Amino acid sequence: MTPALRELEALFPRGLLRQPGELVAYESDALTAFRARPLAVVLPESHEEVAAAVRWCQKHRIPYVARGSGTSLSGGSLPVEGGLVIGLNRMNKLLRLDPKERIAVVQPGFINLQVSLAAAPYSLYYAPDPSSQPVSTIGGNLAFNSGGAHCLKYGMTSNHVLGARVVLPDGETALLGSESLEGIGPDWLGLFVGSEGLLGIATEVTLRLLPRPEAYHTVLAAYDTLEKAGEAVAAVVASGLLPGAMEIMDSLAIEAAEAAVGAGYPREARALLIVELEGETPQVEAEARHLERVIRDSGAYEVRVAQSEAERMKIWKGRKAAFSAVGRLSPDYIVQDGVVPRSKLGQALAEIERLSERYGLRVANVFHAGDGNLHPLILYNGRVAGELERAEELAGEILKLCVALGGSITGEHGVGMEKRAYMPVMFTPADLEAMRRIRRAIDPLELANRGKMFPGSEAKPLSHGPHPLEKAGVIARE
Amino acid sequence: MQHRIDPEKIGPQGEVMAHAIEACVHCGFCLPACPTYQVLGEEMDSPRGRIFLMKEVLEGNLSLEEAQPYIDKCLGCLGCVTACPSGVPYGELITSFRAYSEPKRWRSPFQKVFRLGLQETLPYPARFRAAAVLGRLARPLKPLLPPALRAPLELLPEALPPTKPLPALTPAEGPRRSRVALLAGCAQQVLQPGFNWATLRVLARNGVEVVVPQNQVCCGALALHTGERARALHLARKNLEAFAGDYDTILTNAAGCGSGLKEYPLLFRGEPEQDQAQRLAEKVKDISVFLVELGLKEVPPLPHPLRVAYHDACHLAHAQGVRNEPRQLLRSIPGVELVEIPEGELCCGSAGTYNLEQPHIAAALGERKARNILATGAQAVVTGNIGCFAQIEAHLKKLGRPIPVLHTIELLDRAYTGQAPVPAAPADP
Amino acid sequence: MSSLRPTHPKEVQEAVRSHPRLLPRGGGSKPALSTPRERQVALELIGLSGVLEYNPGEYVVVARAGTPLSELEALLKAHGQYLPFDPPFARQGATLGGTVAAGLSGPMRNRYGGVRDFILGVEFVDGLGNLVRGGGKVVKNAAGFDLPKLMVGSLGRLGVLTELAFKVFPYPKATATLEVAFPNLGEALEALYRLAASPIELYALDLVPPSRLVLRLGGLPEALSPRLERLERFLNQQGERLQGEAEEAYWEGVNDLGRLGEGYLVKVALTPRRIPTLEARLGAAPRRYMSAGHLLYLAWNEPLEALDEALRAEGLPGLVLRGVVANPRIGLNLEGPFGLKVTAALDPQGRFERYAAPN
Repeated sequence: MTPALRELEALFPRGLLRQPGELVAYESDALTAFRARPLAVVLPESHEEVAAAVRWCQKHRIPYVARGSGTSLSGGSLPVEGGLVIGLNRMNKLLRLDPKERIAVVQPGFINLQVSLAAAPYSLYYAPDPSSQPVSTIGGNLAFNSGGAHCLKYGMTSNHVLGARVVLPDGETALLGSESLEGIGPDWLGLFVGSEGLLGIATEVTLRLLPRPEAYHTVLAAYDTLEKAGEAVAAVVASGLLPGAMEIMDSLAIEAAEAAVGAGYPREARALLIVELEGETPQVEAEARHLERVIRDSGAYEVRVAQSEAERMKIWKGRKAAFSAVGRLSPDYIVQDGVVPRSKLGQALAEIERLSERYGLRVANVFHAGDGNLHPLILYNGRVAGELERAEELAGEILKLCVALGGSITGEHGVGMEKRAYMPVMFTPADLEAMRRIRRAIDPLELANRGKMFPGSEAKPLSHGPHPLEKAGVIARE
Repeated sequence: MQHRIDPEKIGPQGEVMAHAIEACVHCGFCLPACPTYQVLGEEMDSPRGRIFLMKEVLEGNLSLEEAQPYIDKCLGCLGCVTACPSGVPYGELITSFRAYSEPKRWRSPFQKVFRLGLQETLPYPARFRAAAVLGRLARPLKPLLPPALRAPLELLPEALPPTKPLPALTPAEGPRRSRVALLAGCAQQVLQPGFNWATLRVLARNGVEVVVPQNQVCCGALALHTGERARALHLARKNLEAFAGDYDTILTNAAGCGSGLKEYPLLFRGEPEQDQAQRLAEKVKDISVFLVELGLKEVPPLPHPLRVAYHDACHLAHAQGVRNEPRQLLRSIPGVELVEIPEGELCCGSAGTYNLEQPHIAAALGERKARNILATGAQAVVTGNIGCFAQIEAHLKKLGRPIPVLHTIELLDRAYTGQAPVPAAPADP
Repeated sequence: MSSLRPTHPKEVQEAVRSHPRLLPRGGGSKPALSTPRERQVALELIGLSGVLEYNPGEYVVVARAGTPLSELEALLKAHGQYLPFDPPFARQGATLGGTVAAGLSGPMRNRYGGVRDFILGVEFVDGLGNLVRGGGKVVKNAAGFDLPKLMVGSLGRLGVLTELAFKVFPYPKATATLEVAFPNLGEALEALYRLAASPIELYALDLVPPSRLVLRLGGLPEALSPRLERLERFLNQQGERLQGEAEEAYWEGVNDLGRLGEGYLVKVALTPRRIPTLEARLGAAPRRYMSAGHLLYLAWNEPLEALDEALRAEGLPGLVLRGVVANPRIGLNLEGPFGLKVTAALDPQGRFERYAAPN
């Protein structure tokens, strides 16, 4: 063992993982196309331990990644080959919940859904609801600015994080934001949220809680074409309504969701639209009448309204399980996360269908229609030679399409490992250079989550060869 | 998930394992459902992590010794199966992997004797009874024993109830509505023989004739889940014979045994009795499911209202998908107020012989379960599995709040026979 | 003092490259922030104006930074939409860029959020004269660092804003306002807390000291009067109702923060918990707490040092918008090395005013 590792062992007498059987489990997050073996994993239990781990990395120039539940779909929590994984899932406490001020202060390993469960007795909840919410941690949500089904109306994680205590890449501590919804001076916290772990590690996060809406009105409409469902969304928007969520699933996604959770969706539908109104009862009742007219005129052949909370949850369960459920249809898949302007949805879907045919790969579509966030799921079989490459190429085509239509390469999954090559499609060299300058100002050695977000970085994720530091004799893995 | 496993090389279970690994997309939805991940907070102690480890072992990239400690820590509670959106048959994977790896692994002489002791005792009521009596006598020696032997002693009851053999046939009261065969369970015959007697009474009362095939043996689940496939097959063959009679339904009142019988098709995969095993498995029903389908005769009200917490046994809820029926039965007893236990999906840590093999994790889970139960303010806990029963009873006692623990069928029986459902005790505020 | 008047981002780049010290200026509605100091050249952005993209169905609008709020709001209103963060000084010539740089929102921010919650994309010229874009033009986007949010409240310190993209929402089809008086501050605050934690959706939840709440409801006209009744039942008391043109006019009046009173005009970010002790320090200064006690605007006629001290004592940051000051940032300063490093990354040569942090 090298002196550096002995030092690390002294810092983490419990909570240091070094054995192959331990490290294997950390090689991937939810994007298994990428794997990298870390040098070690540490499981800190306090802010001070996180700072100690970061300072150790700084001292020995070892790159690192902070990891929560490892549910990133962009490879954001993929280890840096030969680097350190700082696993934060043991820092999973709710530190404070103040129902009067409507805030919750949590450690980064606290699970998203648990925030709402803890707040439920006060009729409050935490709004961002990524599909991974029963699993994903607030720390990871913060790093990747997670979204969910309700972003049009309520925004993303960034809009619900008020403050954070962070360990900067030099090991120092910074407090960003406050408990107020307002701020004075540049919004440093706004920059930090969504920075994909490149600017530091949050160890305490102050979240804003919202009052739980008094009433929900959830409508499930079935269509015989995807276009009609897309047009229905445009019609809802044009009517001046502002639903909390509008979601569309195509037939392949319906099939998967039905197989997984038996949500009771009309199986033969070519497209399903979920629209959810929420708010004060008299207002929702009035809006529901307007919505009914809009949906009726949109050519839906079947319309269901959830009559109880149980029915509502069932509708959502199918939608939320849809991604993982696709595992039932195909051994492998790539989830994409592009965004297009809502008015270009139809065009984008038609183009994706064309690409799907051209590449000979099935594509299931699940998307947040209200905010134009597409989630094409590209199905492939990794055991068939060349299919992964074809799938990746198809995914790239879809991303370029999204940018060409005026959108974004990622709505909520982040750039991570997966989409860094497409950053230049969306940003000019000057844009990327400005971001890089910020990154280097905070982390001159580029140790924090090295190899993510920026194109052409140094990490080689698919190889298992010796780390450059290993070759140089700085580290060893005996 | 992609893999490079060659099922041919692994044997009849290779295909099963390869399929399960393929279905996993590594999404992580299993993490919050996994008791060991909740306690240990390490990826390799999660279902997703274990799948990765098993894959690496089967591909030949990782030695069995490296992976084994984490595979061993799996309770087999199948909480992950309920949580999994991709439909990974994790239970089949871990059972097959244990069968695959057991002959290949090194075990210390002590471990071997200990495991052999368990396998040769627990499934055999007479031997288990004798061992339990000895164990109780050995209690004063506990501090002198190795830790692995202390845990079993703690779980033994203060006194073993008397046993008398179950009748081969119990006739229906009134017109016969159905005829069933009952699997009596092994450990429960020694520890809680009352469960079976209550079962017979409730069934008879509801017009059901019950046959208890006298040549039945342990279902083999204990052996199967610890990788002792040959032993499990040996036991299961006897049961194929014992339950070959003309029954539409084979009833179980222990969740573990029920799911054990339902696993026969997996166990017999590639064996000549494969079809027979399939037919048997299709007839197996938990007592609660059977009674709900049959329709209960009216239940008289309890003498006083009772707040009851229902504990989902993993092998009912996760392995058999039985959640509503026991609750439905309890609700049909006038006077019962049913409450839900926080973190109800989480295993209590009993899990067959797990509390004997991994006592620390089992104890952490047992205490967590007991605290969650007490948080409901329930006056009694009801469950449908002997293992959970013993574990919960022991941990409630440890916390100094020993509220009564009952089998679902016991509470029903007491309501029918007009007995006090639980000994009079001050209600918890 | 000289000034420059670019009409194209390229001219902004040239201006930045050729002047060592610049202060960007929009409509001049917040003079404490836009009056050039010694050796600074004013960079007038009012010529960099106009809406670039607006498709009402997208709920997105893209405009040049010098576009006056009034112009953009008129366009949005014609399509039944609005900027939900309710930027102040619309009729006083405030521009989009100035609003973002100052980080200002108005009373209606209570419903859906402040300017940081609605900014989607930004284009700016950094201290090296590079034209940089961040964010996007769609309502959901997680690509790259969130530079748009970084610019909110940046006071021109990180770059000169040239183009901005915002999310917009449909304006409520009808609105109504309820003004409720309470016997004392304590009871008014209690009601404020209860309202803020309730599912009642208020476009504005303002506290006007000493003890009045002004509440604004919006939505479909047919639901408005039952909701007003529910609101009164919830508060257990009747209020004074305002509807129609008078109501619109009332809020237009509030939007012009200058009307609060003479002297310095100051923004304070806070939480409602601070209000009781802060109230005891503010004397007769005219003021209004907005967004359930998270945002305070006040007029101050005493020496600014006194207010600075009061805010420090409460641990609160403040920003002077009107009045002659050396440094508009008063009260608590939370600035640490993180901010300094980011500032140095975007403006390494120190062309922009950094407002040395108050000590």
